[in-house]
Amino acid sequence: MGESWFRREFMVPRRLAFNVLFYGAHLSLFIYGWYSQATNQRLAGLNSLKYSVWTSRGAGLVLAFDGGLILLPMLRNIIRIIRPKLTWAFPADENIWFHRQVAYSLAFWAMVHTTAHYVNFINVERTQIRKQTALQIHYTQPGGITGHFMLLIMVLMYSTAHQKIRQQCFEAFWYTHHLAFFFMLGLYTHATGCFVRDTVDPDYIPTFPFYSTEHCLGYLSWRFIIWPGIIYFGERVWREIRARRATRLSKVLVHPSGAMELRIIKPSFKYTAGQWLFIQIPELSRFQWHPFTITSAPEDPYVSIHIRQVGDFTRGLGDRLGVGPSDKMSGMSRGDYVELDPAGSSIALPSVRIDGPYGAPAEDVFGAEVAILIGAGIGVTPFASILKHIWYRQKKGKLGSLRRVEFFWVCRDAPSFGWFQSLLQEVEAAQADRELHVLAANFLRINVYLTQKISEDMLWNIAVNDAGAEYDPLTLLRSRTMFGRPDWMTIFGQMKQAIEGGQYLPGSTSQLKTKVATYFCGPGALAKAIKDATVSHTNSNVEFTFAKEHF
Amino acid sequence: MGNLIWHEYSRLVSITASVCRCALLYTKNDHSRAITDAIWASFFGLFYRKFFWDFVGGTLRDPGGIQPSPNAEFFITIIVKIPLVQILSNILAASILAIELPLPQVKQFSLYRSIVGRIVLLLFQVFLTILFYQGTNAAIWSLIAVICYGRSLMLGETMQEAKDNRGKAGMA
Repeated sequence: MGESWFRREFMVPRRLAFNVLFYGAHLSLFIYGWYSQATNQRLAGLNSLKYSVWTSRGAGLVLAFDGGLILLPMLRNIIRIIRPKLTWAFPADENIWFHRQVAYSLAFWAMVHTTAHYVNFINVERTQIRKQTALQIHYTQPGGITGHFMLLIMVLMYSTAHQKIRQQCFEAFWYTHHLAFFFMLGLYTHATGCFVRDTVDPDYIPTFPFYSTEHCLGYLSWRFIIWPGIIYFGERVWREIRARRATRLSKVLVHPSGAMELRIIKPSFKYTAGQWLFIQIPELSRFQWHPFTITSAPEDPYVSIHIRQVGDFTRGLGDRLGVGPSDKMSGMSRGDYVELDPAGSSIALPSVRIDGPYGAPAEDVFGAEVAILIGAGIGVTPFASILKHIWYRQKKGKLGSLRRVEFFWVCRDAPSFGWFQSLLQEVEAAQADRELHVLAANFLRINVYLTQKISEDMLWNIAVNDAGAEYDPLTLLRSRTMFGRPDWMTIFGQMKQAIEGGQYLPGSTSQLKTKVATYFCGPGALAKAIKDATVSHTNSNVEFTFAKEHF
Repeated sequence: MGNLIWHEYSRLVSITASVCRCALLYTKNDHSRAITDAIWASFFGLFYRKFFWDFVGGTLRDPGGIQPSPNAEFFITIIVKIPLVQILSNILAASILAIELPLPQVKQFSLYRSIVGRIVLLLFQVFLTILFYQGTNAAIWSLIAVICYGRSLMLGETMQEAKDNRGKAGMA
């Protein structure tokens, strides 16, 4: 791995801050929970159980905290709204990572809490400070029942959420994770049995919350942590309502590589470039929502997504539209496409529902003077929308402070992304038109890197076809394809020199700080290399920023 | 839609159940940090010894808790007087873990690839852990693992033989 655990967790300032805050908060809550139980005179009876009860109360308070936190990163709509304002404070795009950290912590403290309670109950039985047996507390009282129930749900949820299982069968993960609803019910009602009390019997009352806070002296944490649950539930309802709004699949374009372009019309759907959505096709699957990147620009009259036929869902869709792997079309050359029009074709288009949009960092391209967009492999998809959007803005002359765009596409084999090439061609052709205008010259530069090993035959083929041709033989773009992996340090270094020398942005004075925003979408190892390059080339004149997208 | 490979899922549940109480945590590197239940339960079952079924015919005394009925004498001997069941289930859980995680030395044995073998071991684990106070959750989860493995048997899933790094550089 190269980098030690210690370096990763403690030597990176942001990670260090997170670790201190996150684990510090957990530890201090544990200590507070322990202390306030141990020093509470009214709970002297319970305190005769000593360490086990102090531990269980402390861990219980921590668990309540985690139970409140775990839903926060899942409030997708709220994150989308607050994201642009808060990117400096926390990485809103790392929400799944945060969700996992909370889950790990939840598992650990659940172990502490449960173990402590096992000891508590056996000692209650032995000392008879309450006239009960351990098993009565475990299996007949609300605390015990909900606790064991939550543990079982956790086993099922955690095990199906394992990376391997998610890849094998996403449905198993997706459906099992909805047990969270019952988990949350268990969490909020865990204390209704009034285990922590200063009376002999629980002091139940007929009105909500059905136990009296006079004598039930728990931390009442559900009053605080129920809110994320309510908000999350509201979000899910809202998403359902939004998904039901009028949506129509107007057109399907089939590209030669089998990629389908779905053009959907939904007037109520507002989005910005680089965002993604969930799509549901009830005919194929009643409940499943699948995420796809939006490939149309906000200016387009439709919402389009490109779907490659790779998984069972996408292949199923291909078969449904009559363009699946079984009925392969032949005789199409690159750049062509077949249009499935409901009017002319015998196949009726299925109904679709879309939910979204959800955020991605590339929304804020127009704040920087230079934008570097780097897509690796399939990670290139969000840039389709962004490039189109930039093109529309360029036509209108509303580019904000954006002066130049460098687009890098790193991929193993370009031909499998035929649909993207056709899109790039459009954008590039549009650039060629505008080259008449001095200002727009060199506005967008496309760099394609092919990293796959090429055979000798292919090498000669390229050499023969490339020389003197107007278009690159592989990508059919004006820009030439480069072979091998890009050396980011050199690329960024050259760019810095060019900017400082004033050649890169003609007319910009070197006193002003130039902001260069880098957006990357692709695998983690590459992200790190690029990030290092941006960090090492930032100085007082040129500021490189870096943002990574997630799927 | 997606095909769940049941024995791979069962493995996760089985690890969880064997480690005992809680859940298994996987880091980003897909490196397992499991907090086990059967191991954990049987471990602290050594300190708080209690026969789970002692309420059957037992009498509640104050203080002292449930006094099991004389009929349960045999179980009291092997759980409370000598924590035999706990020790056995601890060893058993450790061996299941060794198979499931797996320990490198175990990979060469055919038991490592045997789903039936796992079901038998897990059933033993159910039987042992159900006997003492802390083991009930381990027993339930082991049972779930057994059911999932059973399903994988029905579907005729097989486990691949471990690859020994064939074709290393310099070997040919």
